[in-house]
Amino acid sequence: MGKRAPGRWALWLVTLAALCALAIWRAGGGSPIETNVLALLPNQHADPALDAATSRSRDAFSQQLLALVSGPDDAATRTAAQVAHRALLKAGLQDSANGTDIGAALALYRHHGFALLDAGESGKLARHGATTLAQAVAVALASPAGMVGLGNDPGGYVGRFITHLPRPYPDFLPDGKLLSAQRGDRRVFLLRLQLPEAAFGAGGSARAAQAVLIARAAVAKSCTQCQFRATGAALFSNAARLQARGESIWLSVTSTLLIMLLIALVYRSLAPHVLGFLQLGASVAAASAAVIAIFGSIHILTLVFGTTLLGIAIDYAFLYFSEYWFGTSAPRAVFGKVRAGLAVGLATGVLAFAFLALTGFPALMQMAVFSVAGLLEAAVVVALIFPVTLTRTAHVPPNRLTDWPQRFIARASRPSRWRYLLPLIVLLLAAPGWWQLRTHDDVRALSHFPASLVTTDSAIRTTLGRFPATGFYLVEGDSMAQALAREAALLDRVKTRLPQSTPLGLSRFVPPPAAQQRSLATWQKLFAQPAALRAAFTATGLPAALADHVETAWQNADKQPLTAAQLLKAVPALQKFVLPTPHGVALMATVFGTRALPDAALAAAADGQAGVRYIQPLTRINDTFGTIRVRATWLVVIGYLLISLILVWRYGAREAVRMLYPPLLALAVTLGALGWLGVPLNVFSVVALILILGLGRDYAVFLREVGARERSAALSVTLSALTTLLGFGLLAASAIPALHAFGLATGIGIAASYLVTPLSLPPTATEDAA
Amino acid sequence: MKHFSTCLILVALLCLAVLAQAAPPAGFAANFVQTRTLPGFAQPLVSHGQLRFSTAQGFSWVINEPYHYAFTLKGDTAREVLPDGTQRTLDPAKTPWLQAVERIFVSALAGDEAQLQRYFTVKTTPAKAGRHVELTPKDAAMAKVITRIDVTESAPGKPQHLVIDEASGGRMDIRFTPLAGTGSK
Repeated sequence: MGKRAPGRWALWLVTLAALCALAIWRAGGGSPIETNVLALLPNQHADPALDAATSRSRDAFSQQLLALVSGPDDAATRTAAQVAHRALLKAGLQDSANGTDIGAALALYRHHGFALLDAGESGKLARHGATTLAQAVAVALASPAGMVGLGNDPGGYVGRFITHLPRPYPDFLPDGKLLSAQRGDRRVFLLRLQLPEAAFGAGGSARAAQAVLIARAAVAKSCTQCQFRATGAALFSNAARLQARGESIWLSVTSTLLIMLLIALVYRSLAPHVLGFLQLGASVAAASAAVIAIFGSIHILTLVFGTTLLGIAIDYAFLYFSEYWFGTSAPRAVFGKVRAGLAVGLATGVLAFAFLALTGFPALMQMAVFSVAGLLEAAVVVALIFPVTLTRTAHVPPNRLTDWPQRFIARASRPSRWRYLLPLIVLLLAAPGWWQLRTHDDVRALSHFPASLVTTDSAIRTTLGRFPATGFYLVEGDSMAQALAREAALLDRVKTRLPQSTPLGLSRFVPPPAAQQRSLATWQKLFAQPAALRAAFTATGLPAALADHVETAWQNADKQPLTAAQLLKAVPALQKFVLPTPHGVALMATVFGTRALPDAALAAAADGQAGVRYIQPLTRINDTFGTIRVRATWLVVIGYLLISLILVWRYGAREAVRMLYPPLLALAVTLGALGWLGVPLNVFSVVALILILGLGRDYAVFLREVGARERSAALSVTLSALTTLLGFGLLAASAIPALHAFGLATGIGIAASYLVTPLSLPPTATEDAA
Repeated sequence: MKHFSTCLILVALLCLAVLAQAAPPAGFAANFVQTRTLPGFAQPLVSHGQLRFSTAQGFSWVINEPYHYAFTLKGDTAREVLPDGTQRTLDPAKTPWLQAVERIFVSALAGDEAQLQRYFTVKTTPAKAGRHVELTPKDAAMAKVITRIDVTESAPGKPQHLVIDEASGGRMDIRFTPLAGTGSK
């Protein structure tokens, strides 16, 4: 280690530490990693109410766990269900149904009974007056299902209101503390539970899975003929987590061992491992710190995608190592030999990524900063650290392993008509695949779930007979009254268009003030004519005194509408429907159907309704991914054209075109292959394509700058391709659809990039090398 | 739960029949006089009608005086004829109590005593002819509506007198006279 070494190490460490310190200061002590995918949307789309509603909807969905215990024998099944219920509670889950509020709600409804007529009942009472009431009282008295509360519910209207309150699973009736229904010859008990924490965290999902295992065992022990089934986002999350963990272990261990073996076979030294790791670690640290310093946080997708893109940076290390171990330069002259190649590679890489920052799209801006900072740091490590670390002359003799890349490049660069015919043939073969390409931005492709879990979920939904809409309505108003009125109108509209659906929203529990005033006015008008009331009662066969009794009850009743505030105070669980906004209030409402509800119809119901939106969180996330994909694709194309300017400046137009077309050819082959294989394009594929273009471009630049006749250039390009194939191409073996697509695209693309790299060299130049 | 509880007229009768016979009851048909006492209203309301139920025909409850009203339940379908002659079918989706009653009805006809005992504490004492059966709701929500049901038999399995005490202070008193020419005699 020379005299300059301590200074260089110090300079590097101080600059990196300063950047990290700036990031820590900017993060303000909180976790700097952002996981909300919607945070990647452009700022102009930011909507706090929408984000809060989406978050609440996600939590409500994700924390719920549904379990069914079924069996042919009522008593045994009930006992088994109770056993399962106790086991789930003991395992840390919570009851989602809270019956303690029901009494308070019923008391409120009874107290404000005269305000609860619906539009149909009001209309009928207004049209037919006392006769309608008399008949309703007569039916309430006569029916075996009738119950008369003459004080505040003559005619059973309040009873009907309560009966019509929405229930998510109407077929399932209270059965002790549980709900049950008959399905064929089996009694089915429904257990509704909630996780106390986020379902997508490792703790929450593992707790849910463990609780289900315990409950299943308890049911099996209690009742041999009973069946226990459970579903919930937490179970899916747990399965995905286990799958991802299992895959990541074997994939990363396999790829790391293979790469280390390859490097060890070539360089016969530990130094490349240590320095390569140092370079990659420093790049990721600097890139993350730069993003946090600028944006205040870093999105998890930026971290994942960005780290992948920094795979390009390993090229710089291989270029240096190959020249140091097998090149013609003395150790002190190595950096001088590779400097031009590094500079052009870095300049083109930085330009390609920097262009993404101009979009104003948070996802791509973060990616741009991450990649640019990472590439710069990688180059800094090569420039500052490698020369003061690798100072002794290497004594590894060249062998067949280190020589064959050079021979391959030389052979493939000979003047031959195949240099033109082969690409043409490959393009013709790939072309039909382009037309078979399709896009698929579904975020669910990020996970792979066991078939048994999917089947169970479907069976449970079918048994329950209720399918929640994939989206929800967000109804905003200046005041609660306006929001309730808008929601009530909307849900009536939904009910008209989808008669089998069950809308669920706060207005179903507390009618809008205007509707309650209408109800009170109807009663007011009816009781203003006591003589007519008595006559109607008498005509129906009821004693006139009963009419007087009913009228007295009206005179003594509280004639104020029931307010949302009163109900929310009595039933805090209903707060889940309410979101305060800077300009008033927003209500969340959803819809259940007897089968999957058509989103188009639900969205259409909101069309033209002031303050009403139909929100589909999954679609919103998928759209975000789709938008990122499309924008990134175009920016890559434009960035590539800009890079050509650098190459034109450096090599002239003719040679620049020669260098640019092989990576494009590799891209075309990759897209064709993906089309043929039926692998859809998504944002992951685009990241793979950026990687392919970046590496392909670097290969061409390195061969040019270091010299096509040089062993070191050919070796570095070959090692880069092989390690990328081992690192990312292995992901094609993943069962997770998105990773599989990414691995496949990277594998095909890098293989193609490497094979067409000789085309970037003029035939005569490589013939010399041969 | 409110409506569900009031269907205990039906439930109580079935309960009695089940308790009285090891085999499922073939059916029951009777005239009845119903006297309802409403809280805060001094004058009892009296009505007359007919009750029938059987495995094949389901349940029929008809008021003839002082006005006409009919309620029939067969399978999971319930229909009403109102005093003005209009008919209406009750929507099962909007009448969960109906599903519950139908469940109890079916299990009672099948002689499933355990089903009934899930909902009530059943206390049986011998009477002059037949027995006296007292049903007390076990479920807290049900108990908020109904405090007690008493059924007195004229002979084993033949209800003679049914009293339902409501938590509100109301009372429903029904006296049965078996119809001539029916198996219930």
